[in-house]
Amino acid sequence: MRSITLGHYLPGNSLLHRLDPRVKLVSLLIMIVALFMVKTFLGFILFGSFVFFIFVSSRLPWRYFLRGLRPVLYIVLFTLILHFLFTKGGQVYWRLGPVTIEEAGVFLGTFMTLRLILLVITTLLITLTTSPISFADGIEFLLRPFRRLGVPGHEIAMMMTIALRFIPTLMEESDKIRKAQMARGADFETGNILRRAGNLVPLLVPLFVSAFRRADELAIAMEARCYRGGENRTKMRKLYTQRLDYFGILTVTGLIIIIIVTGV
Amino acid sequence: MLIETKNLAHVYMPGTPFQVEALQGVSLEIERGEFVGIIGETGSGKSTFVQHLNGLLKPTSGEVLFDGHNIWTKANNMRKHRSRIALLFQFPEHQLFEETVFKDIAFGPRNLGLGGEELEKRVRYGLELMGLDFKLYKDRSPFNLSGGEKRRVAMAGILAMEPEVIILDEPTAGMDPSGRRQLLEQIKRLHSEQNLTVILVTHNMEDVSRLAGRLFVFSGGRLVLEGTPVDVFKSAETIKEIGLELPPLTELLQELKKSGKDISTDLFSVEDVGREILQLYREG
Repeated sequence: MRSITLGHYLPGNSLLHRLDPRVKLVSLLIMIVALFMVKTFLGFILFGSFVFFIFVSSRLPWRYFLRGLRPVLYIVLFTLILHFLFTKGGQVYWRLGPVTIEEAGVFLGTFMTLRLILLVITTLLITLTTSPISFADGIEFLLRPFRRLGVPGHEIAMMMTIALRFIPTLMEESDKIRKAQMARGADFETGNILRRAGNLVPLLVPLFVSAFRRADELAIAMEARCYRGGENRTKMRKLYTQRLDYFGILTVTGLIIIIIVTGV
Repeated sequence: MLIETKNLAHVYMPGTPFQVEALQGVSLEIERGEFVGIIGETGSGKSTFVQHLNGLLKPTSGEVLFDGHNIWTKANNMRKHRSRIALLFQFPEHQLFEETVFKDIAFGPRNLGLGGEELEKRVRYGLELMGLDFKLYKDRSPFNLSGGEKRRVAMAGILAMEPEVIILDEPTAGMDPSGRRQLLEQIKRLHSEQNLTVILVTHNMEDVSRLAGRLFVFSGGRLVLEGTPVDVFKSAETIKEIGLELPPLTELLQELKKSGKDISTDLFSVEDVGREILQLYREG
């Protein structure tokens, strides 16, 4: 069985882990807005040192953290190269036939790259320290004001929780079906992309059938327990804000105010 | 020797906090044409073990030999090997995926490169072995069959590959008594009439004691007992210790024997045991 780190959540007991998920979600939003308001490299240094401070307080192993960054590296590189090659303006740094690298390209490329990397790091810090379940709880709470507009906050959170709950189950199931078909001589490892995609049919059809069956069973089980979402439902995990949470919100607000006021 | 394992060990997810030693030092031998039972509690390693026999899992250490050859050498064609040692998982009906029963059963043989008339012959063979009529079933959707029929179609799909060994993991799980009896009867015939080597994985002692010539008992990833059902059931203590039960009939006979009655304890069918007890009763 292959193990997967879902949302990369790493259990722990650091300051960041103990923050209320609602606070973390709101702070994340504020920080993303702040990040997009940064106009100078000085601003990035300010923002970066703040993020670094959070990282240290999270006590996450840096190796594990860097591994989480790897997948976005390609996107970042791609952005960098595109800007270098196609954004024109200012002094020409380098020329080869029709290809030139100009000042504006280098500036914008580096700028965008920094912004992207900081964006990913900030998000990763939150997802690594928040369990998916409390994430869902937080989202449910934050969607509450939108209920009047017809946004089913509780239902969305419920769906997230159920989906998360079933990911390991379905992984196990797909592993079993894959083996069962391999025992019948199925081949999932060789051939070109088209062929491989076609070979997945014996895996996907039973997987969907079983997912639907499970969904059906779950619905009946919930119905049998008189499940009814929304109004007047008490919670098993209640969210509490502590002094730490107010401190967190204040710091993040402070950061965005500094960035706006000084215009860095 | 048809199947032989030497010091087989398997560790799931080694090097992580989730590491589990599922198998340790399992060495056993199975001869061609045998009917053996593998019994053990849930989590005893029996399913992990049988997945090694047809190469679905690679041993962490140790060897699996088939016909005297290590199955994990480069020269061994694993797909071919899997068609010779067929493995039917628990709830095999979950593997059905094609539009028609014919196509689904043909999946295995087709993967072996068969086509045309030979393919049809194989499908017909599989269906007939499972007691399903070829004409009646071949064009039906496997998803519209009853539970028992689905399971038989899934089994036919394995048999259509004409394996030499068939490994069945809890083939009767979740079936009603009559369906169970029927399926076990068919498995018995596969052994006696088609000369298949059968490996039955189960925790139902009753079924396995009636069918299998030899038993292997697993516990905690180790092979703890092996021998004929009569021999194995003599170690009643060990069997109970590892969380299994003797078949009710054997337990009854052993109790009678313990209370000083002159009775044989190596009978497994209701008829035989009934006759024996009746005789004891008549003798007073």
